[in-house]
Parts: sequence; C-alpha cells; structure tokens
Amino acid sequence: MGFLFASVRKDLLRWMQDRMALLIWLGIPFLIGGLITLMMDGGSGTPTGTLLIADQDDSLLSGFVVGAYSQEQLGELIIVEQVTPEEGERRVNDGEASGFLIIPEGFQDAFLNETPVTLTLRTNPAQTILPGIIENVTEVLLDAGFYAQRLLGPEITAIMDSASDATPTDVFVAGISVDIQQKVDAIMPRLSPLAIDLVVVEPPPQEPQQDIGLLFLPGVILMAVLFAANSLAADYWVERDKGTLRRLVSAPGALSGFVAGKAIAALLVMGLLVSITLVVGFTYHGIAWSKFLSSLLWVSLGGVGLFAWFAALQMLFPNNRAANLITTVLLFPLMMAGGSFFPLAALPDWIADLGRLAPNGFIVDRLTGELTSASAWSIDAQSWLVSLAITASGLVFSVWRLRSGFARR
Amino acid sequence: MLNVEHLVKQYGDLTAVDDVSFEAKPGAVFGLLGPNGAGKSTAINCISGLLTPTTGHIAVSGHDIARDGKAARRSLGVVPQELALYEDLPAIDNLRYWGKAYGLRGKPLENRVADVLDCIGLADRARDLPKKFSGGMKRRLNFGCGVVHQPKVLLLDEPTVGVDPQSRSKLFDLVEAERDAGACVLYTTHYMEEAERLCDSLAIIDHGKIIAEGTVDGLKAQLGARDALQLYGQFPADKIGSAIGSLARDISDLEILSQDEGSLLLTLSAASLHLPRIFDVIGQAGGSVSETSLRSPNLETLFLLLTGKELRE
Repeated sequence: MGFLFASVRKDLLRWMQDRMALLIWLGIPFLIGGLITLMMDGGSGTPTGTLLIADQDDSLLSGFVVGAYSQEQLGELIIVEQVTPEEGERRVNDGEASGFLIIPEGFQDAFLNETPVTLTLRTNPAQTILPGIIENVTEVLLDAGFYAQRLLGPEITAIMDSASDATPTDVFVAGISVDIQQKVDAIMPRLSPLAIDLVVVEPPPQEPQQDIGLLFLPGVILMAVLFAANSLAADYWVERDKGTLRRLVSAPGALSGFVAGKAIAALLVMGLLVSITLVVGFTYHGIAWSKFLSSLLWVSLGGVGLFAWFAALQMLFPNNRAANLITTVLLFPLMMAGGSFFPLAALPDWIADLGRLAPNGFIVDRLTGELTSASAWSIDAQSWLVSLAITASGLVFSVWRLRSGFARR
Repeated sequence: MLNVEHLVKQYGDLTAVDDVSFEAKPGAVFGLLGPNGAGKSTAINCISGLLTPTTGHIAVSGHDIARDGKAARRSLGVVPQELALYEDLPAIDNLRYWGKAYGLRGKPLENRVADVLDCIGLADRARDLPKKFSGGMKRRLNFGCGVVHQPKVLLLDEPTVGVDPQSRSKLFDLVEAERDAGACVLYTTHYMEEAERLCDSLAIIDHGKIIAEGTVDGLKAQLGARDALQLYGQFPADKIGSAIGSLARDISDLEILSQDEGSLLLTLSAASLHLPRIFDVIGQAGGSVSETSLRSPNLETLFLLLTGKELRE
C-alpha cells in the first residue's frame, strides 16, 4: 500500500503543477455551457418595438387610436411615443423605431362625417416582425372603426358632441348606454351564432417541461472529462520519455501499484473537475442536490475508465506523436456521437443508439437520466457494473502493455 | 553475487551480446570497458530485467533473473545511462518514491533519504525541482535514486556521460562509497581513466564479445612495456611490410598490428628511441609519415592492440 499511496501522491503533485491544463479542462464546459445558455435563452425575453405617433388631430378619437396600441399584450410588444412629425420622420429614417404613424388634423371629423381621411404609417424596412405587427394592428383598428361607425354612428356622434360640452348628464350617459346595448344585443346572434357547444375540459397533469439547457449539461461535462482523460493518459508516454518507466521495471513488483496509483490520482483529478462543473450546473438548472453524489461518482468512475482505455490505446502506438494524434482524432467523433455537441435526444435515432454504445455516450445517457429523474440514484446496478468492468479491464490492459514491452523501450 | 554465464542477446541477425560470462564480487567494482555499441548497455539491460536474454543465465544474489526475477530485482539497483527522474517532483520526493518502490517505509526510509541527500550533495536543494538543477546535479540525483534502497548489486551504465569534471569526481566518490559499503558494483564505461581508477577487475568488450578480462594490473601486464605507435601518411602496402619486417630483426618486440595505405599501427618497447630508424625505413620503402601518435601502455592501448581501433571510435 505504501508504494500505491506514493504513486498517487507523486502523480497528484506532478499534475497539479500544470494548473493551466486544469483551467483549460474546466474552461471547456464553462465556455460551451455559456454559449449554449446564450443560444437557449436568446438574450432578454420578448422583443419590443417603438411606434412613433404624430397626433396632429389631438382629438378624443385620435387619443383612442393612440391608446389602442398600448392595450394589454400589445403594450408589452409596442412602446408608443408621441412625437412631432419632423422628429418622427428623422427617427424612423435613422432606424430608431419600428414604425411612424401620422394622424392628420381633422381625423375625428372625417371619421364622424364618413368622409375620406388618410392615416400615414411608415415602417422600418430594417426590421421584419414588429413593423408587420404594427401594420396589422393599424388595419384592425381601421376596420373596427369602420364597423363601429356603421353600427353606432349616431351614438358616437352624440358622445363626441357631448365631449366638447360640459360634463354629460347621468341621463345622457344612461340613454346612450341603453341604445348601444340594444344595438349590440340585436346584432350579436348574427355575429356569433353558437353552432358548437364548447365544453372546457381540464387537461391532464403533464410532466414538467424539460429544460433544454439541462439536456446539454451531461454532454458538456463529458467533453471536459474526455479532454482530461486523454491528456492524463499521455502521462505514460511522458514517463517513458523521462526513463522512469525503465527504472520502474527494474523494481520488484511495482507495476501494478504504479498503474493503480495513476488511476486513483486520475479519479481524484476527475472528481475535482466534475465536482466544480456539477456544482455550477446544479446551481444554474436548480437540480436537486440529492443527485449530486451519485452524479459525481458516476462521471468520475466513467472518467477513470476513459483514462484507462485512452492510456491502453496510446501505449499501442510506436511513438508519442502518433499516439496523441490518434486519440485526439478519436475524441471528436466520440464527442459528436456521444452527446457532447448535441444532446442524444436531439440526434437521429440511429446515431443516438450508436452514441449510447460509445463509452462517453453510455455515461452521458445514464447521467442525463439521473439528472432528469424524479429521485436520486436512478442509475441501475447493471450500468454501474458495466462501468466498473470497463475501467478495470482498461487498467489490466495498461498493466499488460507496460509489462509486454512499452516500459522497456 | 552477480554471475553472468554464456549470455547471448540477438536481434534478428544481429548478435548484440555474444556468449558473455563474468562474475562480479561483493565489495568490488567490476568494469565493462568497451566502445559505444560494444554491447555493454545490452548486457546491463539483460541483467536488470529490461531485456530477455536469448540464451544464458544471470543470477543476482543467487536468484536467477528469469525464474526468480522478483527476488533478483529486490537486490538490484540500477543507475541508467539516461536520466530517469521526475523533474517536476522535488528531489527528496524522487528519492522517497524510488525507496518505496523497493519496499522501504517509515523511519528507515526517511533516514536513508537524508543520508543519500547528504552523500550526493543535494541536502540543501532537497525541496527543489530537478528541472532547476544543473546537469551534474541531475546525474547525482539519478545516482541517488538507484542506491536509495541500499542494493546488494549496483548496475551503473555509463553514469558519467555528459558530466562536468567536478560532478564526475563526486560520482566516483559515491561509487567507491557503495563498494566500501559492501555492494557488488558493475560499472560500464568507455572511458579508460574511469575504469583504471574505479575497477578492481574488468572485462574489455567489443562487438558483443569479451576480448580480455582480469584485474587492471593484470591486463596492463599483457602489454608488457610496449608502446603503441600510430603513424599516418602514405604506406605502399607491398613494400612497407617487408621493410618493417627487416627492422624487426634489430628491434625484437616490434610488431605490426594493423596496416593500410593511410595508417600503420606498430607496437614496440621504448618506441621514442626507435622513431628515427622507423621513419628512415619507411622513407626508403617509398612511404612518408605525416602524423605520429605515441602512447605508453594503458588500458586504452591494450584495447587498441586487441582490436586495432580506438576505444572511443
């Protein structure tokens, strides 16, 4: 055990000196996670546009029109600013607004007298959605005004007339109200014949909608683990180039302790790396902390398995450069298929099925299940055993490769 | 303590070590002297277990390296030709690590590490990283890592290559200290001076074969009092042989060791006294001498006499 602990300590002391590598491994998930979060959130919620209105009529009716753009949900989309015609012209030309509406003088009179009147709406060609909304709302308003005039022309005229006088009497208001109500009651059967009985049924309780960003989290963490595992595995080549492996072979029975020491040191480094990324991920996505330990153990164990097999693979090649090149080239298809670039759920079924067979995809798949499950420790015993077996076989293969010549060259 | 019997190591058609046998005793330094590529390192690698011999037997402290390798390696300490250090691990941790690899623990380990640091002159740099050390300091630490577990058999594979004179002298002291402590030391080198200073007995190896073996004094005695005279110039092959042969009637121990059109290697006693006559005979035979090298008897001369070539070629 003494040599095992000495090996663990030796590798930790050496690896921790390379703080830049640790920062890079940590930087990868934070960079990718940050970019994904930005893409998913799209910045700052609902877009808003500015509608500039030059109300040259300054009447009660033009005031209704101005107010109509700020009603309820429309008010969340459109910010209305009253401006002079000159200012409105300049600002819409400069692209500072989505639209500019001119309500001409005499608008109210023309409306009441049913004479032609022109409202001028200029929209910003540089924008696509908001000017369209403003245009449609304006057309709806004009249509509504037309039908209101047809149906309630005398009442509207009476209201406008009374607005210019003193405060209308209660009798006047009551009379107008009754007239309007009678006309509305009379027309309602034609406007909305109830051909269908509408029965409102409460929808069944649904699963809470999955956070898309959360689906990226396991793959992003595994991306960091893959880079770390590949980089740490290269240490066998470093040791060989330094001659320490040759010295080790001359020592009695030290190879197993040496490999086990490296694996434990890798487990601790992976544990640190995964802990930090998980803490950030759990905090950001509001994941239950009861799943933290299981997630940490699962990914760290999987990380050691990846380390062991990367090491075994690297030791098969005739030189350091070829070993590094091959495993680095291997990283990208693994990340692609294993859910690091896109969640497995977002991949075509056949790629996702292949990805789940890849070692990192296997880890990502179970971690995703753990993070999105109702309770902690949802990863089944068989998966744990498979992960343990992969790790152990990688380490045994590494010992064999060291004994079979890699360390002696 | 270290027995090597009929050791052969082949790589395909190349025989790197060819039927090498020797015995090294405790409390003594046994040298393997030979030029680069002679097979010294291959022999050491077979003994340390890095290479598997093609045929032959190696026993360390009575344990056969092939059948009882673990026990054999427990008695072995190796100082490889190339540095074998963790340059990103403090010097003291390097020594601790290799001490633990050989089973040392606790207080004995700490005491031994402190002793070794003193011996190799790095006690005041114990916590520093070797990557900040000079080449000589690294060599000394490399030596310390090989002896930290007090091996009974110490294999030193050209430990002074690339070392400055001061560090070389320090390394010699360390080797002698291990020998005096009772270790059996196998020391390979291609430096004749090192072999003469350190080795109680030695074998001269060339092309994988041992060509001479014995104590330093015994090997020198093989030379007698003869010098080696190396001449360069023009030497017509058909005339020089008979000319020198005629001279040999007057100079009894004169002998031609090698000859070609550009060089001539002779051995004879008190060569400096006979130089004018030799030059005269060569001139009369139609030859000319452009460069002369005269060496008094030593191991390097012996190697030259045995192989017809320089030790450091």
